[in-house]
Amino acid sequence: MTHLLRDIAYVRSGDKGDTCTAGLIAKTPEDYPALLRSVTPEKVKALYGDWIKGKVNCYPMDNIQAVVVVMEQALGGGATRTLRLDQTGKSLGHALLRLPKVE
Amino acid sequence: MKQTVRLGSGSGFWGDAMDPAMELLGKGKLDYLCFDFLAELTMALLQRQKLKNPQMGYVPDAVQYMKAMMPAARANGTKLISNGGGVNPRAAAQRIVEDAQALGLKGIRVALVEGDGVLDRIDDMLAQGIPFTNMETGSTGFRDVRKRVVAANVYTDSAGIISGLAQGADVVIAGRVSDNAVYVGPIMHEFGWRHDDAHADRIAAAITLGHIVECAAACTGGMSSRFAEMPRMGMVGFPIIEMWPDGTAELSKVAGSGGRLDAFTVKEHMVYEIHDPRSYVMPDGIADFTSLALEEPGPDRVRVSQVRGRPAPEMLKLVIGYQDGWIGESMSFFPWPYAYDRAVKAKQSMLERFERMGLEAEQIHFDFVGLNTLHGPGAPLPDRGAANELNEVGLRCAVKTRTVEEAEKVRRAASHLWIMGPGGTSFGTPMKPRPVVSLWPTLVPRELIKAHTEILEA
Repeated sequence: MTHLLRDIAYVRSGDKGDTCTAGLIAKTPEDYPALLRSVTPEKVKALYGDWIKGKVNCYPMDNIQAVVVVMEQALGGGATRTLRLDQTGKSLGHALLRLPKVE
Repeated sequence: MKQTVRLGSGSGFWGDAMDPAMELLGKGKLDYLCFDFLAELTMALLQRQKLKNPQMGYVPDAVQYMKAMMPAARANGTKLISNGGGVNPRAAAQRIVEDAQALGLKGIRVALVEGDGVLDRIDDMLAQGIPFTNMETGSTGFRDVRKRVVAANVYTDSAGIISGLAQGADVVIAGRVSDNAVYVGPIMHEFGWRHDDAHADRIAAAITLGHIVECAAACTGGMSSRFAEMPRMGMVGFPIIEMWPDGTAELSKVAGSGGRLDAFTVKEHMVYEIHDPRSYVMPDGIADFTSLALEEPGPDRVRVSQVRGRPAPEMLKLVIGYQDGWIGESMSFFPWPYAYDRAVKAKQSMLERFERMGLEAEQIHFDFVGLNTLHGPGAPLPDRGAANELNEVGLRCAVKTRTVEEAEKVRRAASHLWIMGPGGTSFGTPMKPRPVVSLWPTLVPRELIKAHTEILEA
C-alpha cells in the first residue's frame, strides 16, 4: 500500500502576504530522510495546480527534522484581497500530507 | 546586570483571550509581559478608524489590557510592553496615562514609541528615488496605486522600546515595531546588548525566542497537529521565556495551566510563517533557525541553545496598504439526495443571473463547500455518484469588483436563488460587500527610519 506524508509528518501553515508557508515536521527522526525525499518544489506545484502561481522552495531543517515549504503567489493575492475562504493559508498546507511517501 | 530575565507572552493577536495573560501576571514571576496585537491588515483597519476619528487608530484591547493589568504589574514589578499603539500610539499612551491616574497609580511612566508611520513621507521618498519595488511581484508600478494609499508603516526594530526602558518606563506602547521586538527590546535592555557584530548571535537568540512565543498559545498546544493529545486547551497557559546573558533560554508555562509545552509544540511554531530558516530576517537582526538545539529538561519545559545569527539588515520592510475595490460573497447549502448536482445547478444559475444583471467583475470564484473550498485543485474530487450521496454540499461564491454597487449584485443574485434555485436550497444571512485593502510590501533604507520615544507620566 502506498504511504502518504500523512503517515510520517505533521504540518503547520500560514501566510506572509501572498506567500503560503508550510512547515512539515517528521513524526520521528527515522521518518526525516523519507520526508526530505518526498517533498520537492515540482511535486508541490503539481499538487496545487493553478492555486500556486509563483515559485516553490523547500528548505530542510536537519536540527529539528523538518522541511519548510515556501509557496509564492499561492493565496489568491493574499489575506486582504483573496477570494478564498482560507484567507491566511492555515488550511492550505495540510494538503501537502497527500503527497506520496518516497521509500 | 541581571543574571536572568523572565518574559511572558500576553497576546498572540488582537482578539486573543485575556485570562491567560492575567494568569501569567499573577503567577509567572515576570519581569516583563509582552503583547503582539498587530497583523498585516491591522494597520490599514486602524488607519481607517483614525480618519473617522483622530483620537482612534490604536488597538482598543491594548488600552483595556493595560488598565486591567497596571495595578498588579506595579505591585509585582512587571513591565508591560506592546505594539498596540497601531497608527496612533500617542492617543493610546494618553488613554493609558488617564487610566493610571484614575486608578490612583501615581508616577507610572508610559513610553510612547513612534517613527514607523511614513504615510506623509511617501512622496518625499519617491522624490529621493526610492523605487518602492514590490517584494512579492517585482512590480515597479507603485505610482499606479499611489493615490489609493491608506496606510504605510515600517517594521521597526527594538531601539525605541530600549530607549523607553532606559528612561524608566513601566509601560511601553509602540506602533508597528516587529512582532518580536516587544521581546527583543527588554532582553537587550536588561543585558546591555548593542546592535553590533559581537552581539549578533545573542540577539538572534532573542529573536528566535520572540518568534517562538509571539503567537502565545501557538507554542503551548494551540494550532497543534496533535490536537487530540493537548489537555484543557480552553484553559491553556501562555508561554514564559527565561533568558540568560549568554543567549540560552528556557521556555515554560504556569504550573497547572492547560495545554502542553515540549520540544514538539516548540518545533511546530519554529516552522510557522517563516521563509528560509537559515535567514529569519528581522529589523533587529537575522537568526539562523537551523543552528539551534532543543532539549526537554523537565515537564512543560524546553531549553533553546546554540542559536547563531548575523547583524541587522540594511533595509527594512515597509508595508503599504491601498484601497483596491470590493468583494461580494454568498453561501448556500444543498441537501441529500443529489446534493452535488443541486450545487452545480445553482452555480450555473448564479452565472446566468450575473449575465442578466450585467455584473462587471474582475474575478469570479466558486467553491463546493465540503469538497474543495480549502485545498482547491489539491483536493481530489469524489466521482459524481459519490458526491451526490453526501449529506450536504455548499456553494460559496466570491467576486472581486471595482465598486460596491457591483459587489452588491452578488448578494442580490444569491438571494434570487431563494426561489429560482434547486429544491432544498438553504441560506444563512446574506453577506454585506466588504472593501478591499491590498498590500504593497517593499524595502526602504534603514537610515531613513528613526524611532522617537517620549515618556508620559501619570
